[in-house]
This record gives sequence, structure tokens and C-alpha cells, in this order.
Amino acid sequence: MVADAIPVRRPVARRVLSLRARRGLVAWGFALPFVALFAAFMAGPVVASLAMSFTDLRGTDLRNPLGVNFVGLDNYVRLFGDEVFVQSLMNTAVFVLGSVPLTIVSALAVALALNRGITRLRTFFRVGYYLPVVTSIVAVAVVWRFLLQPDTGVVNSLLRTVGIAGPHWLDDPLFAMPSIIIMTAWRGMGFMMVVFLAGLQAIPRDVYEAAEIDGASRWAQFRFVTLPMLRPTMLFAVVITSIGQLQFIEEPFVMTRGGPLNKTLSVSMDVYSQFGFGNYGYASAMSYVLFVVIVALTVVWFRLLRPR
Amino acid sequence: MTVTPRPAPTARGLLYVVLSIGLVGFAGPFVWMVLSAFKPEGELRRVPTTWLPENVTLDNFRTIFTGLDFPTYFTNSVIVAAAVTLGNLALCSMLGYALAKIEFPGRRVLFLLVIGTLMIPSMVTFVPQFVLVAQFGLVNTYPGLVLPILALAGPLGVFLMRQYISELPDELIDSARIDGAGELQIFLRIIVPLAKPALATLTIVTFLGAWNNFLIPLVMAQTEDKYTLPVALALYSVGQNSTKFGLLMAGAVVVVLPVLLIFVVLQRYFVQGIAMTGFK
Amino acid sequence: MVSGRWRAVVGALTIFAAVGCGRDAGTSGGEGAKPVGEGAATGEITVWAMGTEGEKLGGLAQDFEAANPGAKVNITAIPWDAAHDKISTAIAGRQTPDVSLVGTTYMAEFAKSGALDPTPSVIDGKQFYTGAWDTTVVNGTSYGVPWYVETRLLYYRTDLADKAGVQPPGNWADLTDFAKGMKDKSGAKWGLNLQAGGKGTWQTFMPFAWQAGASITDDAKKFTLDSPEMVKALQYYKSFFDAQVTPSSLLRPGELEQGFVDGSFGAFFSGPWHIGLIKEQGGAALDGKWSVARMPKEANRTSFVGGGDLAVFKDAKNRDTAWKFVQYLSKPEVQVKWYGMVGDLPSVKNAWQDTKLSGDPLLKTFGEQLDDAKSPPAIATWEQVATVIDTHLEQVVKGVATPADAAKAMQSEATSIGTGL
Repeated sequence: MVADAIPVRRPVARRVLSLRARRGLVAWGFALPFVALFAAFMAGPVVASLAMSFTDLRGTDLRNPLGVNFVGLDNYVRLFGDEVFVQSLMNTAVFVLGSVPLTIVSALAVALALNRGITRLRTFFRVGYYLPVVTSIVAVAVVWRFLLQPDTGVVNSLLRTVGIAGPHWLDDPLFAMPSIIIMTAWRGMGFMMVVFLAGLQAIPRDVYEAAEIDGASRWAQFRFVTLPMLRPTMLFAVVITSIGQLQFIEEPFVMTRGGPLNKTLSVSMDVYSQFGFGNYGYASAMSYVLFVVIVALTVVWFRLLRPR
Repeated sequence: MTVTPRPAPTARGLLYVVLSIGLVGFAGPFVWMVLSAFKPEGELRRVPTTWLPENVTLDNFRTIFTGLDFPTYFTNSVIVAAAVTLGNLALCSMLGYALAKIEFPGRRVLFLLVIGTLMIPSMVTFVPQFVLVAQFGLVNTYPGLVLPILALAGPLGVFLMRQYISELPDELIDSARIDGAGELQIFLRIIVPLAKPALATLTIVTFLGAWNNFLIPLVMAQTEDKYTLPVALALYSVGQNSTKFGLLMAGAVVVVLPVLLIFVVLQRYFVQGIAMTGFK
Repeated sequence: MVSGRWRAVVGALTIFAAVGCGRDAGTSGGEGAKPVGEGAATGEITVWAMGTEGEKLGGLAQDFEAANPGAKVNITAIPWDAAHDKISTAIAGRQTPDVSLVGTTYMAEFAKSGALDPTPSVIDGKQFYTGAWDTTVVNGTSYGVPWYVETRLLYYRTDLADKAGVQPPGNWADLTDFAKGMKDKSGAKWGLNLQAGGKGTWQTFMPFAWQAGASITDDAKKFTLDSPEMVKALQYYKSFFDAQVTPSSLLRPGELEQGFVDGSFGAFFSGPWHIGLIKEQGGAALDGKWSVARMPKEANRTSFVGGGDLAVFKDAKNRDTAWKFVQYLSKPEVQVKWYGMVGDLPSVKNAWQDTKLSGDPLLKTFGEQLDDAKSPPAIATWEQVATVIDTHLEQVVKGVATPADAAKAMQSEATSIGTGL
């Protein structure tokens, strides 16, 4: 009996073990292309750029990069004494605080409207609201400048009809950033709209029906059915939008060049300028400070919107 | 499939009106872009800008299709974008499945690596990456154009696929495993068909990024026969002291058409696809 | 007679030295320069050129190949957009071509990195306009040659000037009167357009600084931004904004040309490319109603000179032919032919004797101005220092800082940035 039992068990045990081992091997096999690509094209550059941030490498050292001076945390310390960088960091913080909620809220609103609100022409509207994502930034800039023109622009003309004297939107240090915030939210909304449209589709109808039977108003349904079930999608949307918008560069570059008086200068613009000046070590340090901010915000979102 | 409660007809009508007014604001610049592609240079410099062209001209498009080597640039763009997109589809879905559904050592670290890479500002690795590609001897080759873009697109795609696949029911996969199916079989026979929506999503996002990428082809191509459309259009439109806006707009229209085509064709899956993303 | 001739020679040398005064009168054949072989060019070279220059250079390359059978010139046109990135990364990855067109303000950075080959002594720097030649000289050695130049003049509406009863300005006081007159008496909204801030403002401002006798660096390559002359120039620049004869916010693209054509702008400073732009925008209706004039005089009438330089790379595979091609492009007749092909003004003085240039009244003025035009110092950190100047100019114009404070701030910031040499 014992002699019978053992042979039966051992082969099974061996099969299970090797199955797991085999599965692990296959998993790494699946991971191999990404890992190979990463190892070949990302690992080296990431390490090199991080190392660069601890040196004073400049454009003039490009042919002899290994001969540069190691300066430790010098670049990082200098950054926080750099008025322009600190300004760009504050600008970026203000921007993200304004733009991320605006992008997400408007994307959700439009998605809701295109989901439950209307039945016809859905494709038409979806494409239409997605267009800012694919419109050339030059065209976007021309039209927005046309709208925000202090004297003849549409926005100020409308304000004038209700008796308000509109400001010089892009030239006024106070109003330039809000203009950029609205424009960037307008531009980024399309992609997130589609993300939410999908997320909304996934909520099963029975939950709504149950709520309606219980007498919940449409607003209550939104608060207690839609929003909670949308949580995971919300996490993805907020994280991706934050990562993207923390690195915003195109909109301020084209509309205001970071002005007036550096009030719309973003960290990415400062990084870009520094790379342009050939201050590779300094620019790398700046990039990694931005990286830390990105990580911090991402962690915050994961904590806040962790699925229950 | 899913129906959410609908508002009353009058409210719905109002919604259509509001949406249509909003649409004007959203589609406006795109419409201006298309109209401007047909304007002569002088008119485009007018301030305030015009909407309908006063003098319709096909010159800008003529320059693009006959004045420069359009077939070469278009082909290069197609090769690069297609290779990156197909490569990314394979790569991200495989790793996405592994991260979502296979227990294996190092799984967590790998996922953190993916997310970590996503968060690194791309400007900082640009020059070291070029030096590396040069050392591999891949400058001015198609792999040299494709692989760096693929490395850039990978992390977002893996995140997307992993979130989506983790929503698929475990039972399906477990029963297949008990039946003795290998992981590759499970992946190809079960996962891929079910993940079609996410794959469509990934296709659009990857294609958009690869098709429009300017800096990598600019730096990797040493001879004009390897230029992609964005590089060629920048060459012909942007001067040292002035820009040809008409050409720039016409170029933008030509470049956006394939992207929109793919969006329209795939968008029905697209919507369903990201439904599952972020679910964990 | 002998003494007379001797005096003339000394006089000539003094004038030459005066023109090159305060600048590195650097030479070709400097440290590290190797000679170029005799005879015709052979083998292949790769040449990079941006934009239109890149598109059209093939025409001249063919002539060169015809004159040098056995030589082949491969031209790659690269976009102006991100050209600096392209060349920098090429240097980093050791993927540079034999020859490239390089913006004048990038020469020092690339030269200092060791990427450029010093100009061989067979090429004489004196054939080029001094200001242009100086853009190739880094630490006393020349790296490359100026290919084409541009300089800035005052564009103005002659009919509006007549109406206002003002003449093209001779000196600074005249310019002030000119601008005010244009605004008050000719119906123009703005008498003059000066850049109010943002990237490149220094190009509009520096001529005034040079005219006042200020300079960015001295012979020892130390910054001299905090000088009484600089403060004077800043004050003068600001005075136009205070008097509201020039707009204090940035113009939109196209606004200036349109404004000049419809008469809302009376005058502005710019380079030769605006000739074409105004003709295109104004058409035949504007013919005869506008012209260009030289810079106004304070201590001198200096203007800004820019353009493009040709550089040969250290890693060039065929150095000999590369320099021979550069020499070819510097021949006066080839420079004139190039002007005909793309409209780039020649950097070689003798080329201007051709009637295509000397016979055109507008171009003639550009040629005259080129004799007194300066470029910013050839330092590796110029782009960054230029941004400092732009920032403080904007503050002065907006009244946020006084000229004296701005000059001090510019000096201290520039000094901490250093020259990178």
C-alpha cells in the first residue's frame, strides 16, 4: 500500500513543480522582448543620464564625455537656487493643479453626454471632440490666439457685451497661465473622453436598474453607481494625464514662449532650453527632479484611488 | 449591452444643442487647419486670420505630392509606424498577459520597471540613446528608426494590456491549464481573441505616436532617403527666418489623414477596449 | 614720396586694426590647422545644409564635380527645426559629415568640443566681411568660413516719411524724431517697431549697444555688460517704449508685414529676407513707397551681422576635398551665382562688385552696412548669455527694472555662466 502510494504522489508532485517552473520560464519568455528592448535601448541611457546629472557635462564635452568632472549633488543644489527653475516648478505645480482636474472633469462630462445622453451621431461627435488631439499645434495656436486677441478676439467681444473689459489674455502675467490651462485641458480632453466612454460602457445595467427601483435620482445614481464603478478607469486616466501634463511643453512654447516674464515657463521648457544651451549635466539633474515629482504624484493617485 | 437611464426627450434635445455648440469650439482649429491648406502664403500671414480661403490654391498640396519625394517619405513613415505598431502589439500583449495572469518570480519588480520607465521624461535619455544606437551601427537603418520608438512606446502599452487582461476571468485560463494547455497556447487561443478591444486601442495610440514622431527619425536618419514625413515636411516648410505656413498646414492635413482613418475604423473596439483598463 | 607711401601703409594697417578693434583678429592656419593638398579634388564627401540651402546646393555641387572629375558631393538637406540638436547628437555619436552649414552662434560650442577642423592657411580670412569672419574665430583660431551673411537695416515707408516731413535718421536723435514724427504726423499707428522681449530681442538691441560703444566681452573674453555705454543704450531702447512709438507687446506672426503694408507701422529693423516678404505682401501697389536705410550713428553706425558658416569636421573622411569644396563655395563668382539661386547675400567682399548686387539700390545699402557690422562673441555659452540679455531687456522695456540695474544683473549672470572656452 505504502509502496503503491508513494510512486503515485511523487510523479504528481514533480509534475506540479516543473509545471510551475515551466510556467515561470514561459512567463519570462513572454517578457523577453520587452526586457531585451529595455536592456538594449533604455537601461544604458537611463543609467548614463542619471550619471550625467552628477557631472558638469556640457556641449563642449560631447566628444570626450568620460573626461568630465564628477560634481556630486552640485547640480541638484544649484537647481533649487536657480530662480528660473524654481519659477518653472511653481508654474508647473499651478498648471497641473488646474489642468488635470479640468481635463478629467470635462472628459467625464462629455463622455457621459455621449454615452447616456444621445443616441444618434455618436461617431460624429466622438471624432469631433477627439480632433484637438490630432490637430497641428500651429493651427491650434493660430485659432486660440485669434480667440484671445484683446481687441478683436471672440472671448473679449463676448465679455464686452456683458460689460466686462477682458484682459490681454496672453500678455498679462496673471491671465497667461489660466489661458494655457484651459487650452491644454481642451487639447487633452479627447483622449480621456474615449477612456471614460469605455469605462462607462463597462458598468452593467442591472446596477442602475436596482438603484432606480430604490428611487435614486439621476444625480444619486451618478454619485453612488457611476463614480465608484468608474474608479479603476479614473485611476488610469488621472495617472496618465498627470504624467503627461507634468511634462507639458508644447502649449506654452507655442503660445507664449514661457512668458510673460517666465510666468508660463514649464519645467520641461527649462529642461529643453538647458539641453539647447548644452548644459547636459544640469538639464539631466532637472529632468530627474521632475521624475521625482512625477513619481510622487503617481503614488498619491494610487493611494487615493486604490480599488476597494 | 449596457444601457444607462436616458434623460427625457427635451433634455436630450438640449443636450444635442449644447454638444453641437461645444463641437464648434473643439473642431474649429481642425477646420481652420484644413481650410488653410488651400490658402496662398500671403493670405495666411494676414492678421486677424481668415477662415474661408479668399483665393483657393492647390499649390501647397502640389508641392507636397510632386515638389518633394513624397513616395519615399510616405513609405518610410508607413514602414516605421507599422513596424512599431505591430511590434508593440506583440510585445505588450505578451508581457501584459504574463504580468496579469501568470505567477512567476520577479513579476512585481518587472511591473515596477514598466511603470518606472513610463515616468522618465523622454528628453533626458535622448542623446545617450543616440550614442548607443550609433555604437550598435544602426544609424540610418530601419531598425535604428524603429527600435528606439518601440522602446518608448512599450511601457504605456504594457500597462494598458496588463490592466485589461487582468479583468478577464481566471476560470477560463485555469481550466485551460488543467486541461494541459501551455501558456503560449492559452495566450494565442484565449487571450488574444478576448483582448481584441484593447489591442485596437493599443493600435491607435501606438500608431499615432510612431507616425507623428519627429525627433527620433530626424536624428537617426543621415540621408534623405530615410526621412519620414514629419521630418521632410519640417525641412520644406521651416526656414531660417520665415516659415511657409501653407505648406505646413497642407502637410499637417496629409499627416493626419491616416491617423483619423484608423481611429474611425477601430473606434468601435476602442471604446470597449479601454473599458477594462485600470481595473485591478 | 617714400615717407608718404609708408604713411599710407601705416594708415591702412591702422584702419584695418581699427575695424578689427576689440575683436579677435584670428587667423586661418591657426593652431592645429593642417594644409590642404594641391590639385583637383577626388573622392566622396558628405555635406549637410539646412532648409532651402540644402535643397538647392546640389546645383553648385554639380558644377564642382564637373570641375573636379573624380569628386562626388553627397548633400543631405536637414530641417532648420532642431538643426542644433541634430548636429550635437551627431558629434556625440561620432556620426558627423565632412562639411556642414552651421549657424554662426553655434560655431564656438562645436569648435570648443573639438569637433571642427581649423581653417587651413590657404584660405584667407581677409576676403570675408570682418564681422562674419569673427564668427568662425574661437580662441584665436578660425574654424570654418562664413558662407552667406545677413545684416540689419531700417526698413521704412518713404511716403509716410514724406508726409511726416522726416528724413531717414542720421544719428540717434534723428531716429527718435523720425519715429515720433512717423507716429504723430503720418497717420501710422506705430512709428517704429522694436522687439519688446522674448527670444532674439538682443538682435534688435545689440546694434544700439555697439553704436554707443558698448561691447559684450573685451579682448580678454571677460564680460563687459555693465558699462555706462550699455546703460546708455538700454535707456535709449527703453525711450521708444516710454514714448509709445513702438508696441510694448509681442506681435503675432504676419502682423508686422501686414502693418507695414497697410501703413500702421512706419518702420522696423530687419534683415534682407524682409525684402521678399514685403514684396509678396504689398505687391506692386507698394513699389516705390518703401526703402531701407543704414543704422543711425552714435559713436558709430554698427549693425548686427549673422548668416551661416561652413565648417569641416575633425572626423571628416575626406578632409582634403571637403576644404576644396569650401574654397569653391567662397569664390566670388560662385557666391554671386548662389545669390541668384537662393537669395543669400555673399560673405565674400569681392562678390559685391557684381552688378546683381551693387546695381540693386536696396542691396547696395546692405552691402554698405556690412562694412560696419558686428557679431556676438564666439563663446561656447552664447545661447545662454543671449537668453540672459533677452530676459533683462524685457524687464527694462516693461519698466520692471532700471537700465542700470539690468546692466548689473546681466553682467553678474553672464559672468557666472562663463564663456565655456
